[in-house]
Amino acid sequence: MKEGRLRTYEPGDNVQRFLDLLGRRITRSLAVSMTACVHCGLCAESCHYFLARPDDPTMAPVWKADQIRKIFKKYIDWTGRVAPWWVKAGSLRDDEDLNRLKNIVFGSCSACRRCTYNCPMGVDTGLLVRFTRGLLTELGIVPEGVFNVSRDQWETGNQMAVTEQDYLETLEWMRDEVRTELGTASVDIPVDKPDCEVLYTINPREIKFDPRSIAHAAKVFHAAGESWTLPKWGWDQTNFGLFSGDDKLGAYVARNVYEAAERLRAKRIVISECGHGYRSTRWEGYNWADYDQKLPTESVVVTLKRYLGEGRIAVDPSRNPDAVTFHDSCNIARSGDLVEEPRWVLRRVCTDFREMFPNRRENFCCTGGGGLLSMAEYRPLRLEVAKIKAEQLRATGAKLVCTMCHNCVDGLNDVIKHYKLPMRVVQVLELVSNALVVPGRNETKKTAR
Amino acid sequence: MSDLLKFVENEVQLAALAFLAVVYAVRLIWIFRFRSRKERTFAAGSEAGGVGYSLMNVAMPWAMESTRKRPGFYAQFVVFHLGVVAAITATFIIPYAPEIFRIRAVAIAFQALLAAAFLVGLLRLVRRLANPVLRLISSADDYLSLTLMIMFFGAGVLAVPNDYRRAEWPLLLFFGLTAFFLIYVPFSKICHYLYYPFTRFYLGRSMGHRGAFPRGRKAGTQAPGPVQENRG
Ligand code: SF4
Ligand code: SF4
Ligand code: SF4
Repeated sequence: MKEGRLRTYEPGDNVQRFLDLLGRRITRSLAVSMTACVHCGLCAESCHYFLARPDDPTMAPVWKADQIRKIFKKYIDWTGRVAPWWVKAGSLRDDEDLNRLKNIVFGSCSACRRCTYNCPMGVDTGLLVRFTRGLLTELGIVPEGVFNVSRDQWETGNQMAVTEQDYLETLEWMRDEVRTELGTASVDIPVDKPDCEVLYTINPREIKFDPRSIAHAAKVFHAAGESWTLPKWGWDQTNFGLFSGDDKLGAYVARNVYEAAERLRAKRIVISECGHGYRSTRWEGYNWADYDQKLPTESVVVTLKRYLGEGRIAVDPSRNPDAVTFHDSCNIARSGDLVEEPRWVLRRVCTDFREMFPNRRENFCCTGGGGLLSMAEYRPLRLEVAKIKAEQLRATGAKLVCTMCHNCVDGLNDVIKHYKLPMRVVQVLELVSNALVVPGRNETKKTAR
Repeated sequence: MSDLLKFVENEVQLAALAFLAVVYAVRLIWIFRFRSRKERTFAAGSEAGGVGYSLMNVAMPWAMESTRKRPGFYAQFVVFHLGVVAAITATFIIPYAPEIFRIRAVAIAFQALLAAAFLVGLLRLVRRLANPVLRLISSADDYLSLTLMIMFFGAGVLAVPNDYRRAEWPLLLFFGLTAFFLIYVPFSKICHYLYYPFTRFYLGRSMGHRGAFPRGRKAGTQAPGPVQENRG
């Protein structure tokens, strides 16, 4: 455990500490997002919370952002300091106010940034929400679930407190499964093997609840003849720092991954299917950790695309005959770069791929984003506003909804269960693994290119 | 033309403009005092392309769902802001190039645009009062700024003929409002145009770097192998 990094709540002058942190941490891009809003209200209908509760103006992104904006105006911006009532600047009085702020930024926003993309001024409300979360986290004013997961990630290096023994045993178990499935002992799931092409990093959920996804990856790496390894330490690519707004936790977790790659002299970091993990490890983590990127860092979906494109793996799409639709994870599509890659792969491994609408960077959040899956107290609201996602899913008529995010898997499963949708969630690797034609297994080799 | 009108059209305007420039300069210094973060990742797209796209967003109603789905709102936005440009231009034409407004067609075109902007302003005020979200978030500044703009457009319609022989009060009203504006703008939401390039620049740079902007282009990926761009 990195001592003293995770603050617990202490009564005291939290308001002053909050204001000090606000003044110290705010960056230029955040400051202009604080000042530039013209209160046009255009962002309201981009938010699934507001769309699901159109009669509740407190669900509009601009109102949520205004709750931190008014504090900024009162204490940092000159107009608010001179004439607060004129620009609706507002004081922070006590911990009750901070708690109210907590319920807004953690409870009624998944930080999906859909509103950011719909603001004519370019105000980044999603980022303002994350920033505010970070200030509250520093004071220990966080939902219990966020606190617990953050503590686990600080203490054990992974957000589900998986022990090294559990980790290694699960990998061995999956290795044996793949060996049995492929009928060869040459398949391996190497750990801490130096000088590999690929350092594969995963989501602890894969160890705890979905180890088959590791087996799928192993199968594909084997078929592609890849030299790969998982690290013994620094294998968790997820990052609760993104959700809690805690850049220090973000830096610590991301650095673990980068240092593992350096220690093992890997040539490339590959991130298993995870939305926030991808955003954290590929994009934000290097900046949080002040660590210059040295290695290509990519999603496993990009790796799969490369294997298919280079003919390193062969697939038979008829093995995935059910209608599949794709859910773009916000953290990948809106805060990252991948929208066409998963589609490219899916079109080659399934026979009936269909879009949901809206899609790509305009897709709606699975509603479990921003760490909301860990915050039980906000679950009723989350499921209520999930009706937007449910309608979107139902309209596709697909039997399978594919996503490249483990968090979205859980978020979508909740939506499907709650709204009784006749569909199942899958991931890209699973569909590729289903369709994989493994040489030497008496299979017809069909390469879809 | 009375001395008072001359004074209001010239000295008062120049003094107010100078004040605006000073306050803006202070505001810019204030913005630059906030620290900016260093980007340490390899790019998947073009920052310049992202910034350009982001800044041009205002002229691309198809780029955002929010404007794409509300063409009427976007049309109002265009008329309102063209009205602003027309009104500001008129404040220079009237004292420094009055012959332009002696061309009847030009004067009528300006008046039509300002009248349209005046109507849009009224619609915006009604919307702000009627829409529960806008009612909840609006500050006194939001209402005053909009009301001032409506008055400014209205006064502009009356002032553009520049017929001071018949009556000076429309011109006094128009230039009086202009001077008040120049002083009030830096403290109000009207100065959002000063922030627009900043918000759009930072969003565009970040999204361009990640290959998310410009929208519609194929999302980029890092080329395997050697480092592409490292701004660290
Ligand atoms: S970030 Fe997403 S959930 Fe949060 S206010 Fe914006 S649109 Fe709504
Ligand atoms: S769309 Fe942008 S400028 Fe308009 S209210 Fe929302 S955040 Fe503010
Ligand atoms: S869980 Fe998935 S869809 Fe939901 S916010 Fe995260 S990335 Fe977005």
